[in-house]
Amino acid sequence: MPIGPFGIDPVIWAVLRLVIAVALAVFLVLNGALAQIFLERKIQAVMQDRLGPYHTGPFGLLQTFADAIKLLSKEDIRARLTDAPFFLAAPAIVFSPMLASFVVLPFAPDFVGANLNVGLLYLTTLGSMTVLGIVIAGWASNNKYSLMGGLRSAGQLISYEVPQILALVTVVLYVGSLSMVDITKSQPGLLVNVVILPMAFLTYLIAALAETNRNPFDLPEAESELVAGFLTEYSGMRWAVFFLSEYGEVTVVSAIMATLWFGGWHGPGVDAVPALGILWFTLKTYGFVVLFMWIRATLPRLRIDQLMGFCWKVLIPLALVNIMASAAIILAFADPRLPLAVVNWLLVAGLVVGLPFTQRRRLLRFRSRTRETVAMRDVRLAP
Amino acid sequence: MFDLLEPFFFAVLALGVIGSGVCVVVLRRITAQALLMALTFASMAGMFLLLGAETIALFQVLIYVGAITILILFGVMFTKQDERGYGLFFQQQTPWAAALVIVIALPVSFLAFSFKDPLTPSAKGGDLIPLAASLFTDYAFPFEIASVLLLAALVGAIVLVKRDEG
Repeated sequence: MPIGPFGIDPVIWAVLRLVIAVALAVFLVLNGALAQIFLERKIQAVMQDRLGPYHTGPFGLLQTFADAIKLLSKEDIRARLTDAPFFLAAPAIVFSPMLASFVVLPFAPDFVGANLNVGLLYLTTLGSMTVLGIVIAGWASNNKYSLMGGLRSAGQLISYEVPQILALVTVVLYVGSLSMVDITKSQPGLLVNVVILPMAFLTYLIAALAETNRNPFDLPEAESELVAGFLTEYSGMRWAVFFLSEYGEVTVVSAIMATLWFGGWHGPGVDAVPALGILWFTLKTYGFVVLFMWIRATLPRLRIDQLMGFCWKVLIPLALVNIMASAAIILAFADPRLPLAVVNWLLVAGLVVGLPFTQRRRLLRFRSRTRETVAMRDVRLAP
Repeated sequence: MFDLLEPFFFAVLALGVIGSGVCVVVLRRITAQALLMALTFASMAGMFLLLGAETIALFQVLIYVGAITILILFGVMFTKQDERGYGLFFQQQTPWAAALVIVIALPVSFLAFSFKDPLTPSAKGGDLIPLAASLFTDYAFPFEIASVLLLAALVGAIVLVKRDEG
């Protein structure tokens, strides 16, 4: 009889490994969400000159636990006219792909669930599956607000998937691998990918904000317009599962950014103590999580036409130009780093400088049109 | 013991493909049909995984589950949901459909069982590099034709929905 790791029968070990992996991922997601909600409350409080939670536990640390227990113990309410099977299935459809994403995240050297050679494609694929759950949630709720939220999210998420994937393509072209481990290993020193490919990073950051329904792109759940969007009919633990998945997705996209552009687990002392990689990886990931919160506290929400226009008229063309230029440079130069960096930084400068000008022109045109309409109305209303 | 796992997963996936496929045809609730179709696609992706073609499996999920099902659901949302009292033209053709299925299924199953020793999937490296190599060398021309066709469809869709301004 063959003996597997730890003297356990390999067949049992295969099952046990699966159970351990899922338990670990659930543990990471749940605690990550608790930590992130606490962080979000405290950071927003600091930014808005408030105290934030401070009654429950030291520094209010136990507030999120109290909230979690409250959500767990809430009555399970389902409106009578909702479409039962879909209404119940939607949170699971949103949650499970997010949970499965954790398999390929490279926390430290040799500390990866599975080193897939198509890891990045796997993450993209799972990211695209959340839309299905949100659309179903919106439809099954049998509520106009929910339906609007679901439709908005379908349009938004499908549109922003395009620049997101295009941004990843640039990095894959440069590194030459889809494996998260290989991408991390390709940037050991200070010269991380963000120095060379800042445009791809900026595109991905914006698209990731939209993909995770975060401000300024949180239209599917815009409180002031749609009550709570596709979440309107949900309460208690089902509602919490949607929010867990949202926080989990923020963690996953932050981890992707940390891995692809900021060197993943690399940091001082990792070569000596590989376990330190977990610390660096977590720190980098949470850096982006905090950046997302900062953006949420700072920026107002966009309108749906601005959102779509920005994606299709600005981000996608720039990302395509970036891919074509990068592919040409990588083919043409033996050491493509400097020309790539020049082109990418030029594109970033073009976006940052050019956007205000085009937006100003649009605004002026919009204003003049409004003035004409008002003038026409005045003429009509004149006695 | 591990040899039993593959047939087991195959059985589950085959049940997923055939069972949900039958449900898509038989059921009368259009949302359930759309979702079960997504399940069929996902089970097909599982089949590809079993065959060692993980890239194709992931693209299957990305495009069929992630995009096409959403498109269908989008259509469903704009469709009236009341009970239809009449069958559509194609739903009244059961005997013909059964005959057609038998006519197609017989040669297909004959072909399927004529495979003696299927190619063992490459153990290391996956199917990513062989797939990319064949796509951009041997099949570059069909690939380009497909992409031009899709581009034409995209432009056509934009032309169709564009409002005349002024």
